[in-house]
Amino acid sequence: MTRAGYRRLGWLWFAILTLCAIWLGWMLRHGLPADTDLTALLPADRQAPLIEQADRELGRGFENRFLLLLGDDERVATTRALGQALQTLVDDGQLAAIDWRELDLADADPHDWMGHWRYRLLTPAWQQIIDRGDAGTLVEPALRRLFSPTARPDPVADPFGLLDTWLARLPGSPIGAADGLLTLDRDDRQWSVLIGELKGSPYDMPMQNALHATLEQFQQQHPDAELLRSGLVFHAAAGARQAKHEISTIGAASLLGVLLIIGFVFRSPRVLLQLMVPLLAGSLFALTLTLGFFGRLHLLTLAFGASLIGIAIDYVLHLQCDRAIAGAGFRLRRLLPSLALGLISSVVAYVAQALTPMPGLRQMAAFAAFGLVGAWLTVVLWLPRFTLHASPFTARLATRWWRLCQPRWRLPPWLALVGAVALVIICALRLTSDDSLELLNPSPAALMQDEQRVQQLLDRDTGSRYFLVQAEDTQTLLARLDSLDAALDRAIADGLRVEYQSLAGSVPTAAAQQANLSRVHELYGAPLDDLIRRAGLPAEVAEKARARLDTSAPLTVADWLDTPLGQYQQRLWLGETADDGVAAMAVVSGARDAETGRTLQAVAEAVGGPQARVEYVDRVDRIGALLGELRRHTALWVVLAMALMTLALVWRYRRRAWRVIVPPFGATLIVLAAFALGGVPLNIFNQLGLLLVLGIGLDAGIFNVEHARQPSAWLAITLSTLTSLLAFGMLAFSATPALHYLGLTCLIGLASVWVLVPWVRPVDPDRIHQQENEHG
Amino acid sequence: MPLRRWLITLLLLLAPLSAQAFDLDDLQRQLATTPALAGSFEQRRELADLDSSLTSRGTFLFERGKRVVWQLETPVEERIELTPEAITDGSGESAPPGGEQVAQLFLQLLEGDWQALESRFTLALSGDQDAWQVALTPKEAALRERIAGITLQGDRTIDRLDMRTPDGDRLEVRLFDQHPLNGS
Repeated sequence: MTRAGYRRLGWLWFAILTLCAIWLGWMLRHGLPADTDLTALLPADRQAPLIEQADRELGRGFENRFLLLLGDDERVATTRALGQALQTLVDDGQLAAIDWRELDLADADPHDWMGHWRYRLLTPAWQQIIDRGDAGTLVEPALRRLFSPTARPDPVADPFGLLDTWLARLPGSPIGAADGLLTLDRDDRQWSVLIGELKGSPYDMPMQNALHATLEQFQQQHPDAELLRSGLVFHAAAGARQAKHEISTIGAASLLGVLLIIGFVFRSPRVLLQLMVPLLAGSLFALTLTLGFFGRLHLLTLAFGASLIGIAIDYVLHLQCDRAIAGAGFRLRRLLPSLALGLISSVVAYVAQALTPMPGLRQMAAFAAFGLVGAWLTVVLWLPRFTLHASPFTARLATRWWRLCQPRWRLPPWLALVGAVALVIICALRLTSDDSLELLNPSPAALMQDEQRVQQLLDRDTGSRYFLVQAEDTQTLLARLDSLDAALDRAIADGLRVEYQSLAGSVPTAAAQQANLSRVHELYGAPLDDLIRRAGLPAEVAEKARARLDTSAPLTVADWLDTPLGQYQQRLWLGETADDGVAAMAVVSGARDAETGRTLQAVAEAVGGPQARVEYVDRVDRIGALLGELRRHTALWVVLAMALMTLALVWRYRRRAWRVIVPPFGATLIVLAAFALGGVPLNIFNQLGLLLVLGIGLDAGIFNVEHARQPSAWLAITLSTLTSLLAFGMLAFSATPALHYLGLTCLIGLASVWVLVPWVRPVDPDRIHQQENEHG
Repeated sequence: MPLRRWLITLLLLLAPLSAQAFDLDDLQRQLATTPALAGSFEQRRELADLDSSLTSRGTFLFERGKRVVWQLETPVEERIELTPEAITDGSGESAPPGGEQVAQLFLQLLEGDWQALESRFTLALSGDQDAWQVALTPKEAALRERIAGITLQGDRTIDRLDMRTPDGDRLEVRLFDQHPLNGS
């Protein structure tokens, strides 16, 4: 290619990147269209929008609110202090509301708004009594209620206290009032309850900081007070603090390390800048094209895609090392075949993944492949044109380093094979996998303990387990919920240790309500006359009471959800679904073990029938299963890609192919064997780390064979593994499990790549080059 | 010495009399001198939209700071026990929702627990120690929707409780034949 042609290509690439920047700017004009739901990574037919909606509905309370439990000997005074401190946050506009006084939660009297529905609402016990013809036995208790000093009798509207009986059966809140404070009485201890409502997102940093500072200050002033926290905002704040801490420790150490190494080798700050240009150009190219193709981007894609582009640092370092050492004698043409092969082998691996049926993997693979191509083009087209102030020190260092790292003997192929077989056996015997979400939970243990204790004290759940019930119309849905309740009641009577919340207990079907009204008519016959007579009231009271029955109206779901009591159950109602049906949930809390899960699953199947209109969902298990599926798919396609690459390498390198594949595959095996021996389970995150190890290992293998005699190649391999080790391997020290696993994999894997490379370097490169020419 | 002691005792006894105001603290001390008592009651509930009323009679037992036992005799037999923690009837069933609050209020009224009552009511005391009357008016609007006002009357003990609701209902409890209990 002519010099002018090369320059033109460089400008063309610049034009393309400019276009990308404009296109990207246009696509981002409304913000980044990012997905966070894990299921968005699954094929469309595997997604369950209704379950996603149910999850969101149930999670809302946990996201928008927080709850504090305060236990102290001086409870009243400390609660006041904390309540007032938090009130200043409300006044400053950081929080929407904080409830802690007795009257903060006082509802209007249910008698005021439940009145005209009461004749259609009967508890099962009363239904049975009236059905048996024993309605007369209800007179005596009604009489007692009428004359109790603490009751509020109403002989006309409700002489038998139908409403009180029905309300008593509804799940009440465990939060009561004492000493003018919202109070929870558990295990002989009184806890003050403070409920905060957020104004915006739980991830809002200024709000998190203000809340954190207020609580810290309170705890310093009242060291004896026990404060339990629950709510997403605390987990989000802990995560943000941890990230900040790690950026200032691990992040700073990595950056400093990379700066020192590059500065030491090249003696020029400009090289550092030139290191970043291809990575940035690659990211721009990848982000634009991926968004353009897919329309949306998953946050996981962005995170891992950006990490995978890190492989491109290889191209930069190989080019720069060669330039620094060869000086004016540098020729791009000499380096181009290995650079091209490095790119192709990595891109092939990603293209293989882009063909999978998993949209998540496709996105990630496309992002990484575009990114690598973009970075590679930038390296090849632009970097040689930037001036490089080559220091003679770099060449001296390369030679000295090359001599220092000459192994005393070389790895024979048979030994490599035996080693590989041994490692495979270890992996096969010992390697485990764990996709559970608990393993990846980044929240500190103390906060998780708080969360569990609060939920246990309050008998509350975060809605992580529920039955999703669907039907063609509301009445069928209520009936189905009702049979679900009945099945659950039977299971609970048989020893299942769970509790549940369901709408069926609050809103009977229209038919059931009509039947209840008939029963009340029966009760309002002779038993009513008896009651009125014994209470010493005039007989016309009975007539007035009977007249009220005509005003009775059926209670609908919408009516109920509008009442102050029903508001607590709004999260259970999903309403109309996409297929013109309706859906609701019954939330389960209590014992959580495999046996319970199986029983609940069986209940769902029995009630849901063959059309599976009742589904049992365990969010934690479900997300774990999704992550596992993603992991297995990735593993499968990576293995296929590796097989494909091996074929391509065998085609080019023939008998020397094993020398190319030992660094990437060997490092992968070493990582897996180390995990097997160390008892580290395999999950999606350390597996994505393996992709990085494979890419960098393969580049190292190719350059090691192509430029076997050049100290510059060895220096570049060293620099590339070292900088990647610093950038990714250091993440092993992160307290965020996902980053820890990714980092641990890179730490072991990249170190293994670096150690393996010298041992598989071709013995006599000159002879091999001759062979190659004969073949070629 | 005996003379001096006698003088002090006399002064202490006379002090409340000589003071101009008989205040709530004095009343509380006066009520506290009977830690436990028993007697009879008549409870009359007048319902505004009915011309007649619900009247019941029975006996009661009161142990300060512990419990009140309400033994209905006519027209129906029922034993209701109120403690600061719970309200239980003869069958051991708990009160209807919100009943605990009413029970707590009832207990605070019978005890003359002004400190607790003051958080929710404005208190006005009139009369002297032999014939006093305390009028309670709810402070918060939410409570005013349920209770218009309460009046307590008595001498050494509480003799009459009168509670009015905004819709015109009225609960009147008369306590009589009261005698202190020893021991228990």
